[in-house]
Amino acid sequence: MPSFRTLRCTLAAWLGVAAAFGSAAGARGEQPLREVLDAELKQAWEREEVQSAGPADDATFLRRGYLDLTGAVPTYDETRAFLDDADAQKREKLVDRLLADPRYARQQATVWDLVLFTRDPASDVRARPGFQKWLTAQFEKNVPYDEWVRAILLAEGNSIDDGAPTFFGAYRNRQMDLSESVARIFLGQQIQCARCHNHPYEDVSQLDFYGMAAFYERLAVVRAGKQGTEERIFIGEKSAGEILFTGPAIDDKAGQKGEPVSPKFLFGEELDEPELPQNFNAVDRFPEGKAPPKPFFSRKEKIAEWVVAPENPYFAKAVVNRVWAQYMGRGLVHPVDNMGETSLPSHPELLEAMTTAFVAHDFDLKWLVREIVNSASYQIGSRGSSDRAFPRWFERARVRPLTAEELPVAIRTATGFDDAARQAGKDPAQEREIGNLNRYMNVYFADIENGVGDYQASLFEHLYLDNSGDVSQIINRRDGNLLDKLLDEAQPPEARVNRLYLSVLNRAPTEVETRRFVEYVSQAQDAAARNRAWHDAVWALLNSSEFRFNH
Amino acid sequence: MHRLCQPGEHFSRRAFMKSALVAAGGAAVANWGGLVNSQAVAAELQKTGKRCIMIWLGGGASQIDTFDMKVGRPNAGPFRPIQTNLPGLEICEYMPNVAQLADKLCVIRSMSTGDPGHISGTHLMHCGRRNEGIVEYPEIGSVVAKYLGRPDSALPSFIQFATGGQSGPRAGSGFLGPKYQPFRMSTDKPPAFTTGYLKEDEEQRRRDLFQFAQGEFTADRHAESYQAYQEAKESAWRLMDVRDIFSVQKEWPKVKDLYGDTEFGKRCLLARRFVEAGVPFVEVDNAGGGWDTHELNFDGHKRLIPPMDKGWAGLLIDLEQRGLLDDTLVIWQGEFGRTPGINNRIGRDHFARAWTTVLAGGGVKRGYVHGKTDADGRTVTEGLVDTGNYFATIFHALGIDPKAHNYIGIRPIPVAPDHSKVVQELLA
Repeated sequence: MPSFRTLRCTLAAWLGVAAAFGSAAGARGEQPLREVLDAELKQAWEREEVQSAGPADDATFLRRGYLDLTGAVPTYDETRAFLDDADAQKREKLVDRLLADPRYARQQATVWDLVLFTRDPASDVRARPGFQKWLTAQFEKNVPYDEWVRAILLAEGNSIDDGAPTFFGAYRNRQMDLSESVARIFLGQQIQCARCHNHPYEDVSQLDFYGMAAFYERLAVVRAGKQGTEERIFIGEKSAGEILFTGPAIDDKAGQKGEPVSPKFLFGEELDEPELPQNFNAVDRFPEGKAPPKPFFSRKEKIAEWVVAPENPYFAKAVVNRVWAQYMGRGLVHPVDNMGETSLPSHPELLEAMTTAFVAHDFDLKWLVREIVNSASYQIGSRGSSDRAFPRWFERARVRPLTAEELPVAIRTATGFDDAARQAGKDPAQEREIGNLNRYMNVYFADIENGVGDYQASLFEHLYLDNSGDVSQIINRRDGNLLDKLLDEAQPPEARVNRLYLSVLNRAPTEVETRRFVEYVSQAQDAAARNRAWHDAVWALLNSSEFRFNH
Repeated sequence: MHRLCQPGEHFSRRAFMKSALVAAGGAAVANWGGLVNSQAVAAELQKTGKRCIMIWLGGGASQIDTFDMKVGRPNAGPFRPIQTNLPGLEICEYMPNVAQLADKLCVIRSMSTGDPGHISGTHLMHCGRRNEGIVEYPEIGSVVAKYLGRPDSALPSFIQFATGGQSGPRAGSGFLGPKYQPFRMSTDKPPAFTTGYLKEDEEQRRRDLFQFAQGEFTADRHAESYQAYQEAKESAWRLMDVRDIFSVQKEWPKVKDLYGDTEFGKRCLLARRFVEAGVPFVEVDNAGGGWDTHELNFDGHKRLIPPMDKGWAGLLIDLEQRGLLDDTLVIWQGEFGRTPGINNRIGRDHFARAWTTVLAGGGVKRGYVHGKTDADGRTVTEGLVDTGNYFATIFHALGIDPKAHNYIGIRPIPVAPDHSKVVQELLA
């Protein structure tokens, strides 16, 4: 049997790494990736006769870059500093500064934590500070992607001190689900259909599914006490035990035993594994509370090495597609975790070039992000008449809602809550949240997507924004916050409207906007009414789509 | 290799959105493949305006002590049967009001759902199936909200009283997304965050300012996300404007004799007010204390049945008088029934193999008893209805095609479980 099916081999022409040393990629070797991105998109616009939105202005780029690289919006001071800077290189310098910001690592860790675990409230590992700390450290040190994924797939040590075993820990007694998730998250392949029947549209057989699941069949989650709410978990691997295949689920009979299936790399060869010696005392279960011994032969190590190998045609391609989508909205294959043979990329050559270059740069995620964010493709404008949140040809900036993690931070930053804390000599990070902002954001604003990235509007979100005291309270005047500054009668109202827009939307108001807002606040006759009017002004901008979305 | 069309490519997103908004009341739904189907279905529904009220008997009511009495058998218990207005049907003596409405009921004595756990049973009897792998199924209210909800409605499409008790948590909208989450209530007061903190004129001025800011930004930036966001904001305002519907104080004195002066009665009244205002799905649970009578089953049921009888009967009468019963399916069910055997604490335990649910109104047969259990009620001997077929039948009765597909990525998920069939005998 060939190592990959014939079909897969023909597809491999554009599948990426298989062509890593091919001529197309070689010719591009010297060209910075950002230029390749721009050239590829431009070519597609011409071919598809699509009009691009043109470059984003500084203010648009500033907010987008902050949100995408740090998960926060810029403060008023940061906004002013950037907009007033006349340096022609200021965008690239800002990108470098944000990539070096500690918030970058935290933001990336948050994004990947959700990719790996989702927001599942019933998860066995919903408290996972050990993992999150570990993952953040991977981004702080810019550990190559293949290295930290290998660590997750080897799951050595324990969840609290070493972090990585937490991922497997979420799949206690669910080894088949685990193999599905590994294939989906790290390889962009959806194999779960084949659990019960051969894939109806794609060449995924049930033996492909069971062959992959066999690698994980012997794993067991070993619990070893708690630290706070977090459980200490080791991942044990038995030396024996086979997964049993009973044929299509629809023909299943009660009590049917099934045939053992050997481990087989996805769409590839069977694992060559040594026979267990006759006299080997294979333990059937691991006692809780201590690190389990190594198995006679580790299937887990073999599949980990196979997954992260540079020759694996799925691994690098899946991650560049995912990172591209993180910054550009759509994946080149979309949705990003469904890169099966029927999901053709919109820009096949671009996907190939990115994959090749990423492998050549030793899986350096920060390098990849830097190239994407510095491209004209990323820095495209957001105006236009396309209705799509994620334009198909990337001819306009994507529109995505701020996440449940980003929104409270953005509200605190925009209203000067953190500024006021600093002014009072406190560390904003240690300031108690206002009301239940974080909790409600998680209840009402989390998972606001329908699973393929499309924003879904929610009634609750607006009832909360409109009527809860929480948002009102955070706007309320306190020394040094935004409302405090807006109520400074020494400043002309125009200047204060200017500050309002720069603080909340990170841009200067237009003349029309200045006029309308000045008129609004000027109708107030007394101090209480003025307070109300300026409060309303902050509220109105906080509630606009311009604030709610990253665009 | 199969060359599969990506269904999304056949429609512009906005065109899809528009048709979905008009047809199925669903903006931004991952329902590419179901479009044609759901459009046709929804057009039909626009005419009929079907709705559904689920009366939830949290904890599990005893079928033998209500609708499937085993007179003269050792496990029958002390309750006596009374004749209903449906010849041949006798039910428990503590349901005199419902007994007079039996000619409107469709009693299913042959439910066999197989899950006797509170949490898993609650999930099963709301979703019609178990979660598997990464698929989180929506509960029936969310599905109905999606197919029968109206975008122009001031009220949410799915209102739910789920005050805990012994039942498990509700599943929510699952993969259908936040738009179809239940709008939860616990009392007859306006729910959280529906009451503003500004005076009316201040509120209006602030809304105008928001509309201005929103308009300036979106003037030359069209995106369906912005529009959906703004539409949701406007629906929140409409909801605030009609929040009086949530408080029954004014109407209660006039109808409390009909519904019974209990918290459950008030909830039934609210359910009627909601469906009358166009809400397609309302779930009402029994306020305070559940039906999980492992001990002293008969004391418990003697206490629980009368207010339930009164509220349920009041609801059916009120719906009928207002001409709403033909279009409103009223479901009466819990997560399971109770054991035929009486345990040594004079209780009955969980039982999901042969139990009873009752449907009434829109789309189902009136004055009909379906299925049979054996002499002691231990197994179904005739007309077994399993979970999948039960849900398929309910969806069908509501005018929702049980085979219509929703999609998770490219994976099609039918509304009712795979291989389920509509039970034709139950339909009007």
